[in-house]
Amino acid sequence: MALDIDIIKRLPGFTLRVRLKAGGEIVGLLGASGSGKSMTLRCIAGIETPDEGVIILNGRPLFDSERKINLPPRRRKTGYLFQSAALFPNMTVEQNILCVLKGKTREEKRRAVEGVLSRMGLEGLGKRYPSELSGGQKQRAALARILVTQPDIIMLDEPFSALDTYLRWQLEQELAAVLRDFTGTSLFVSHNRDEVYRLCDSIAVLSGGQIAASGDKWEIFNNPQSHSACLLTGCKNITPARQTGGLSIAATDWGVTLQAAALPPEPVRYAGIRAHDIAFADSPALPNTFPYELVEEMRDTFSYIFMVRLSPNARPLRLEMSREQYRALGRLPPYVQLPPEKLLLLTRD
Amino acid sequence: MKKVLPLLLALTFVLNLAACGKASEPAQSTPQEPPASAPPSETALTPPEDGVFTESTDLYISAAASLTQPMEELRALYNEKAGPNVNIILNFGGSGTLQAQIENGSPADIFFSAATKQMDALTEKGLVDTGTRVDLLKNEIVLIVPAGSELPVSSFEDVATDAVGFIALGETSSVPVGQYAEEVFQTLGIWDDVVVKSVFATDVKQVLSWVESGNADCGVVYKTDAASESGVKAVASAPEGSHKPAVYPVAVLKNAENRAAALHFLKFLQTEEALAVFERYGFTVNK
Amino acid sequence: MDYSPLWISLRTACVATVFSVALGLVAAYYAVRLGRVLKGLVDGILTLPIILPPTVCGYFLLLFFGVSGPGGRLFEALFHERVVFSWYAPIISATVVAFPLFYRTMRGAFEEFDRTLIHSGQTLGLSGAFIFWRVILPNCRPSLVAGTVLAFARALGEFGATIMLAGNIPGKTTTISIAVYSAMAAGQTELAKKWVLIDLAISFAAMLIMNFAGGGARRRDTGVAR
Repeated sequence: MALDIDIIKRLPGFTLRVRLKAGGEIVGLLGASGSGKSMTLRCIAGIETPDEGVIILNGRPLFDSERKINLPPRRRKTGYLFQSAALFPNMTVEQNILCVLKGKTREEKRRAVEGVLSRMGLEGLGKRYPSELSGGQKQRAALARILVTQPDIIMLDEPFSALDTYLRWQLEQELAAVLRDFTGTSLFVSHNRDEVYRLCDSIAVLSGGQIAASGDKWEIFNNPQSHSACLLTGCKNITPARQTGGLSIAATDWGVTLQAAALPPEPVRYAGIRAHDIAFADSPALPNTFPYELVEEMRDTFSYIFMVRLSPNARPLRLEMSREQYRALGRLPPYVQLPPEKLLLLTRD
Repeated sequence: MKKVLPLLLALTFVLNLAACGKASEPAQSTPQEPPASAPPSETALTPPEDGVFTESTDLYISAAASLTQPMEELRALYNEKAGPNVNIILNFGGSGTLQAQIENGSPADIFFSAATKQMDALTEKGLVDTGTRVDLLKNEIVLIVPAGSELPVSSFEDVATDAVGFIALGETSSVPVGQYAEEVFQTLGIWDDVVVKSVFATDVKQVLSWVESGNADCGVVYKTDAASESGVKAVASAPEGSHKPAVYPVAVLKNAENRAAALHFLKFLQTEEALAVFERYGFTVNK
Repeated sequence: MDYSPLWISLRTACVATVFSVALGLVAAYYAVRLGRVLKGLVDGILTLPIILPPTVCGYFLLLFFGVSGPGGRLFEALFHERVVFSWYAPIISATVVAFPLFYRTMRGAFEEFDRTLIHSGQTLGLSGAFIFWRVILPNCRPSLVAGTVLAFARALGEFGATIMLAGNIPGKTTTISIAVYSAMAAGQTELAKKWVLIDLAISFAAMLIMNFAGGGARRRDTGVAR
């Protein structure tokens, strides 16, 4: 069940330092391209070797630089779903799955294959070659192949990135069902915040080779604590900031001073607020209400986006509201309010 | 389509070969009377009286492999006398190969063969300017062994004994020294015993190389070759009359582009100075 | 007409091809995993026979396998036989010149092979041998066929190196190539042509067979690997 890793790997440009513990849950690894997410998975799988550290899976050490342990990939019992599915092109779906089944009788193997094919919605496709499958079918077949090996951990490396958007949702649901049934730990790597939030229980945010935040996903969402975690969880309004006495925070890029609801233990270095947390207001009664200059108004598919400036020559903020909310307003009120309790106060980079 | 293409290519090759076969027929049916005296070529440079050519010209000579060292020395000598404008290009090989090349249009101006057979064959095909032919040199046939060899081989008859595992010979159908070797062994009545241990080379230098490296226990080469290679020693000369005389004929070819230079060089080869060079390498002048 | 050159050539080309393929697969597989400097060195040595003129190759072979050479003496000590002028000498020289062609072709294919397939096989618990024979090679079929064709063609057409090491011994080491040359040199053009046609027929048949063997994978081709 449990994954315990603490590794260092020196790469061109940055050093990857990952310390993570997980137990039977679905962990999302969120980070920008090149932040080391895939490399972490590859180290766990044994395809790459860290420079130092320890990787323990279900109590079994897969890698230990001190004790000179480095198990080859095929003995690690890890399931790795590649972006490209990596099915063997010269074999049919059935053959792909059969070849990883070991130590079973013919009859057992046949049943196992049939079982997993039907579970993954691939009935009747067993005799097809990978080149004859759609992207979604390929991923399902690859996942089927992984499941029959009964791995201790399933690792998914951006499994939807090669698929068309409208296919992703269906595959995501199937994947969610599979992962729920899976008793081991799962690691889901992506740079798409929404997918990670939907599928995972806890999150680790990777930025510049380090874990910028990790833990329960909502905790991180509500209190990212670091600039990178804030960005990676999708916040679009961030400004350098500093405390100016009491609960006041000067938001440098926005050109205003804000009132916080409470102060974090460390000094504040940035402030942020999510686009849908900013509200329009008719009067300046509530704290953090400001007049604004409307820079731009955009219609998104199901929402409206407003770019507003709180002070001359300052950086605009992004405000979002649903279509219904907009219609209910009628006309745009003269003020915007940044509720203090929704302010994200960040103390790290 | 993929399978048809190689078929087409192969077919083209085969047709070309057949065409080649047809094309060589006319050459054989040209008139066989040798001209009494060859008329000078129209584009001739007149052979200079003082022996020095003033315009740059190439002279191609196809010569038997056994003539390698003397010809190279003579080339240098000739350039000293006739000036650097005559660029002599030497092409060495087995006489049979050279003959085949000439038949197929090699640009040789002069052919210097190690036997009369090849020269006669070319003459029959009308490719030789017979008026210029000179049977210039003679060579002796010897049996060689590696320089440090202690095998009990001291005569041609010994080749048939168990002392010899492999004997290197020139190819009997195309290399003159091979033909002579066969004649010698035939005369001695042991050819059947010798041929089963023979390994054939495309030219005499190859024979030398095999014997010198010890891979062949013995070989048959010209006396001149044996003398030129320190890694072998001659242990016996072919008995008198056991083979047709090894005569080296030289001639200017009918299709020589450079007749004037060729004639001039041929004359040079017959001078005392040139003949002395040949003798130094072990050839005898054929009087 | 003496048909022994036909059998000698067939035997030589087929055996040399088999050796080239076996050795070539091993060499290519391990060469890909070498570091850059070592790889360049190994490559250079293994590719040398293609770059050298065949007669130079033959000369080195003669030096090595000759009666006074290291290879020759070892062979004689082990098997009490001499390599030079033996019936298997043409096989040795043909293998030496054909091997680099197969090796380079396969090395290219292995270098370009999609590594994720190998990694996925490893994480799924498959052995290295399984991955090599059932994943890598089947997906390199075009290169396998091309390499084998090249090796066979080169082995069949080998002349310069063979004549040095094996000599021209009719019925024992005289291959078709040597027979053609001898016939030409002796002015026997009709005989030479006959041999050329036989040679063409063999090459053509071999190519058809190999194309057929390699072309069966249309349905599975995704262009993933070569």
